[in-house]
Amino acid sequence: MKRLQENRIDQISKYLQANKLDPELLPEILDHLACEAEESLWDGKPFEQVYHNMVKTADAQTLLNLSVDHQNLLAMEKSLNDIVFENRNKSYGAYDLRKGYGQTVQRAVVMGVAFFLLLVMFPKLYAELVPDLKSDAIAYEVSVTPIDIKMEEPPAAPPAKEEPAPVQKAVKSLTPEVLPDEKVMIEELPPVVEDLQNAQPSTETVDGVENLDVIAPPVENAPAAKADVAGVAPKKEETFTYVEQSPQYAGGNEAMAAFLRKNLKYPRPATQAGVQGRVFVQFTVGSDGKIENATAVKGIGFGCDEEAVRVVKMMKDWMPGKQAGVPVRVRFTLPIAFQLD
Amino acid sequence: MENNTTSNEYVRGTLKTIVLNLLAEHDRMYGYEITQEVKDRTGGAIALTFGALYPVLHKLEQEGLLLTESVEVDGRLRKYYSLTHRGNETARTKTNDLERFIDAVRLLLAPKNLATE
Repeated sequence: MKRLQENRIDQISKYLQANKLDPELLPEILDHLACEAEESLWDGKPFEQVYHNMVKTADAQTLLNLSVDHQNLLAMEKSLNDIVFENRNKSYGAYDLRKGYGQTVQRAVVMGVAFFLLLVMFPKLYAELVPDLKSDAIAYEVSVTPIDIKMEEPPAAPPAKEEPAPVQKAVKSLTPEVLPDEKVMIEELPPVVEDLQNAQPSTETVDGVENLDVIAPPVENAPAAKADVAGVAPKKEETFTYVEQSPQYAGGNEAMAAFLRKNLKYPRPATQAGVQGRVFVQFTVGSDGKIENATAVKGIGFGCDEEAVRVVKMMKDWMPGKQAGVPVRVRFTLPIAFQLD
Repeated sequence: MENNTTSNEYVRGTLKTIVLNLLAEHDRMYGYEITQEVKDRTGGAIALTFGALYPVLHKLEQEGLLLTESVEVDGRLRKYYSLTHRGNETARTKTNDLERFIDAVRLLLAPKNLATE
């Protein structure tokens, strides 16, 4: 079998390329024509004649028709993208995007519609899943149970531990009573001077602390101590500053003004210095109306403060202040005016 | 020449079936081999031109009925074609269709008195 030389094959290839044969078809047509040519050579024909015959069969028009036929047949399956991207870089990415565009749009539409429907139907779905008690109810009756609110009682202040008031050492010293002779008890002799040196005379002999008389008893305790030497400390009451019904001088404000005018003496130093003004005396009106703890909280000096306190202490019992109808201790501030004529 | 063009007219419609049928009989074939086979078996009555054959082969390949492999022979590439599984099935159905069609055509072409006999 005779074979075509390389240069002959090249010659045929160039001829086909010159006629713009589709590159996809070229190798096969080349092979086909070469086979034909070899067959003819086998029959003993010279190559020139064979080539001439070949060009006659595969003339320009035939090859063009072939290319066009081939294109048309395949193009039926080709999409627009294949035509657009023919002879272009398909691996760049745009081709894939274009190819998958339809699918992407379809998926997006399905997802979008699903999402939208879900959004629109959500209230209905929710109502479906969480059913109302009554579907036809317009309003609901709400029953209210009264709640008993108890005021929380303020925690009781821990009772102030009061040390028992120190008791003074005392020696029984009773006023001698005049009795018939048979009733006289000789045991109870008046205390001797030595006993009274370190003790106070009392109704009973108490073994207390010596020399306690140096400590002056507090003012508010003074009357209580007087009333009951060895007694219990008076029950401490709460002291109010503001009460529903203020304490009042027995007889009213005019009576008090008259009392003050009568008892108040302008102190000499104040007169000499020409001092005038108001002294604020604060004191506590006990639930029994007694005045305690009288002090001058703001004064003008020159003996006026002391004078004001003295007169206030002189006052007889007040009408106690009342809180919820119950007499209570009230702290009261009374301004007393000192005015020179 | 006149004879050849008329045969080409009929071949055009049956070419696919002919190619598939030939490939079903052989393992693999290349274009020129197919034309030679057709020429030999029909005694030259049907001559396939390369202009008709190759587009059809490419079309069948695109449809997924044919597999191709390129082998270098004598300094040029030779493309061999073989049937895929689906190509085999298609070859069978198409051959059957063509046979029934030919029978029908034969009935039409036969003289009426003969046909009724």
